[in-house]
Amino acid sequence: MLYNSTYTSWLHRVNPVTKLLLMLAGIIAILFIQNVNVMFPLTAALIVLVLAGSGHPRSRVMLLMLPFLFVFFSTSTSMIFFGKGSTLWWHWGIVQITRESFYRGIHVGLRALCFGLMGLLFVLTTRPVLLFYSLMRQLRLPPKYAYGFMASVRLLPLIMSEFRTLRQAYKVKGVQVSKNLNGMMQALHLYAIPLLAQSIRRAQRIAVAMEARRFNNQADRTYYYRIGFSKADIILIICWAAIFLGSWLLGWHLPVISITDVRLNG
Amino acid sequence: MKKNYHLTLTDILVTTVIALVFGVIYKLWGPLYYALKPLGLHLEQIIYGMWFIASTVAYLLLRKPGVALLAEVAAASAEFLIGSEWGLAALLAGLIQGAGAELVFAAFGYRKYSVGVAMVAAAAATAGSLVMDSLQGYIGDLAFWNLALLIGLRLIGAIFIAGYMAHRLVGALEKTGVTSLVRPLYDQSTEMK
Amino acid sequence: MQNVSSHTEASAPAAEISGLHLQFPRQVARLFRNLSLKIRRNENTLLLGPSGSGKSTLLKVLTGLIPEVIEMPLRCEHCSTFDNWGYVFQDPDSQFCMPFVDEEIAFVLENRALPTEDMPEFILHYLNLVGLEFDEPHRPIETLSQGQKQRLALASALALEPETLVLDEPTALLDPGGTEMIWEKVRGLSEDKTLLIVEHKIEEMIDFIDRVLVLDDQGQLIIDASPDQISQKHQYLLDQYGIWHTRSWPNYDSKRSNRLKLSENSTDNKNPQPVLKIDHLEGYRDETKLLEMPALDIYPGEWIALTGPNGAGKSTLLLALMQLIDQKGDVLFCGENVESTEQVAADIGFVFQNPELQFVAQSAREEVIFTLHQQCPEINGSEVPRRSRETLKQYGLHKVAAQNPYQLSTGQQRRLSIAATTVKKRKLLLLDEPTFGQDAVNTFAILEQLEKYRQSGTAILMATHDLAIVQRFATRWWKIADGKLKFDRPGQRLENSRTEDIHAI
Repeated sequence: MLYNSTYTSWLHRVNPVTKLLLMLAGIIAILFIQNVNVMFPLTAALIVLVLAGSGHPRSRVMLLMLPFLFVFFSTSTSMIFFGKGSTLWWHWGIVQITRESFYRGIHVGLRALCFGLMGLLFVLTTRPVLLFYSLMRQLRLPPKYAYGFMASVRLLPLIMSEFRTLRQAYKVKGVQVSKNLNGMMQALHLYAIPLLAQSIRRAQRIAVAMEARRFNNQADRTYYYRIGFSKADIILIICWAAIFLGSWLLGWHLPVISITDVRLNG
Repeated sequence: MKKNYHLTLTDILVTTVIALVFGVIYKLWGPLYYALKPLGLHLEQIIYGMWFIASTVAYLLLRKPGVALLAEVAAASAEFLIGSEWGLAALLAGLIQGAGAELVFAAFGYRKYSVGVAMVAAAAATAGSLVMDSLQGYIGDLAFWNLALLIGLRLIGAIFIAGYMAHRLVGALEKTGVTSLVRPLYDQSTEMK
Repeated sequence: MQNVSSHTEASAPAAEISGLHLQFPRQVARLFRNLSLKIRRNENTLLLGPSGSGKSTLLKVLTGLIPEVIEMPLRCEHCSTFDNWGYVFQDPDSQFCMPFVDEEIAFVLENRALPTEDMPEFILHYLNLVGLEFDEPHRPIETLSQGQKQRLALASALALEPETLVLDEPTALLDPGGTEMIWEKVRGLSEDKTLLIVEHKIEEMIDFIDRVLVLDDQGQLIIDASPDQISQKHQYLLDQYGIWHTRSWPNYDSKRSNRLKLSENSTDNKNPQPVLKIDHLEGYRDETKLLEMPALDIYPGEWIALTGPNGAGKSTLLLALMQLIDQKGDVLFCGENVESTEQVAADIGFVFQNPELQFVAQSAREEVIFTLHQQCPEINGSEVPRRSRETLKQYGLHKVAAQNPYQLSTGQQRRLSIAATTVKKRKLLLLDEPTFGQDAVNTFAILEQLEKYRQSGTAILMATHDLAIVQRFATRWWKIADGKLKFDRPGQRLENSRTEDIHAI
């Protein structure tokens, strides 16, 4: 988990459900934005929010954002090189960069980047256990799902170290996997079967142990953590609205690019 | 013993853990294929099926309603919580993809566990993923040949991985004896068909 | 300490079953056939039996976990389970559901619907009961040692305020230190609770046991006696079932001195070449240096025991020698510098700590055949199945040759992984705690096989916790702590054998 309790900020005090709902609203809003000029200030604002508001050291955050840049490039280049368009700028072989495809590519790339940034913001400022507690209290998620998920996540480090041990064991035994389709099937078998067999057995044992501790799926259970709403929630809601509205206004009144709708009509 | 349609704690844990195992495998192999993406030939679509294999394996193993959807949601949630670059969209994608597979299993009354059913479910999950992608605007305006290539490769890859391979894997799992722990009693006599 | 069990016990039994029939799904044989027993209140009962006799399953029936949580075909005339019980399971890594220590105890308190305000105080209370006095109870469970984890499991069970404590081989996966700590805490609880314990190592806990029940491998209750009667009249049974007790090793010693000769000069070669030369080996994991070894030579026919506390670097050394982890320094095998795992995989055998992660085949027989195919090109045709049959027989696995490796018991899996490695004669065998968690029968079988290899010239480097093994089998003893070699001594068996030679004269 990326969350680290040593770095805190006001965003940590916001109820996880609030953050979740705001993110959902943000995604829906972004899906309706077709003007690439709106995306520029929006992306910038989100980057600032993540860097300044997450509470983590800037260098760490920037390192974590690197994969997002990769996503931006891979998503946008796909569209830039192979998207439809009429105003040809450059072509080479099957690659055809047009004015339309270029800006559509940028738009799509920025979309992906924004989704990622929102996710990163959430993950850096939310303690996973608290997320599940608030899902149970505020959204009435049945406890068996919440605790079940938390319990199996505990197995993750074990799965990873077993993966490593498997690789070592196969090396020692002299198991070789061919690099073709057959090889991929073989490799999937070699790793998936032992990992699944072990993990499923463990999962079953943990479930039995939880039941042995009188786990009940009742809503009348008590909770160790109390998560409510606070001033921080209100501040975030206001900030969020401001970011989106502000970007929208900036995009329409101070456009950088003359295209205001990246969708093609023909 | 009467069939219990509710998901027990054991079912939930086993399903989630299946999703995690495939997530780990995907994470450790995925980057190898992803480097191929900018070539534009969508070769990375071939392993897209790894996204759905958890749901088909979970269903073929546990044979209960809801596990296919749960597996996808669990995989997507785990992906989200570790700060993946796909963010909350991954979660929504998981929901739609899982729903696709779940609908197929439901259509067969949750009584069929054959490789054919798995392949159809894999195709449905792929359809779900395409819906998500087009909503996000990733694919709607690609040139036709490019789009056809993407859809074709993804579909074939998914049917092979999340359909055929999933069935083979569960067959092998049965031989390890793990199924006697987790599969409802009344089904013990039916082997993989 | 001992409660006198009287037949005129006034109160009702804590749990009772009669006429129990139980079957594993998809298995033809019944696990229990018409079993009846009674567990008395306020008594400490120990349940013994060979591996696979269903002791653990019986515990789950007596608590009601079977059939309520674990579905199994069950039939009994009368079955009354414990009414207020707490359960401690065997595997420290498969018991917890929360990431932090306090959350784990809080989980139980939540299940009991305790008010949130009261929780912190109770959490500290239960942690203190088991000796886990942390300044900050909010610490990740991952940071605890296996022994501490089991004590945490005990605390969680106690948090249910149970009348009966059921413990299912709680020390099976613990080292001697962890084992001692658990029994110390349980002993403190033995006075006022009903205890039902399944164990395989009874030396350290038999003192507070009032009653011993023994199941045989058919799931029949064959003995119901006091601990004294067991050690006086039924000790042979303990040895037969592989249960570790105070006299396990002495009994084995007296049997062994008639059978195996401790010949130290396994080769006639007066000046043998070292099989392995280590020269300032450093082992790394993710850029951190975990191990640093000076110059050392390993000769054919040596049995080197590698001991040290957990995390000291024993596994690291073995992995580094096999080039499975990042390292610096030189390792020379038979005079040649070792550059990669593939180079030496055919001549150095490596047995990992977790056998269940090594299987590539669908049956035990094929597992052994795999090695033959991969690494013994000189053996082919009908020789292959013959060799495989022979090896399986040596390890007592011929009866399960056709079974899927995952269906075997842990003892069988451990033996299978060693069998699959040793089917090919190796110059050097590296073993990472091969007898850990094993019952006495398996342990002795494995050690005797290894001794045979040693006598034929194989060098053995084995990590272990068990000093009894070190005393009896090791020709040389390396102790590692904090990633460094603390000493390199000759093994005690050399002294012992000289004493035996003297007696023979």
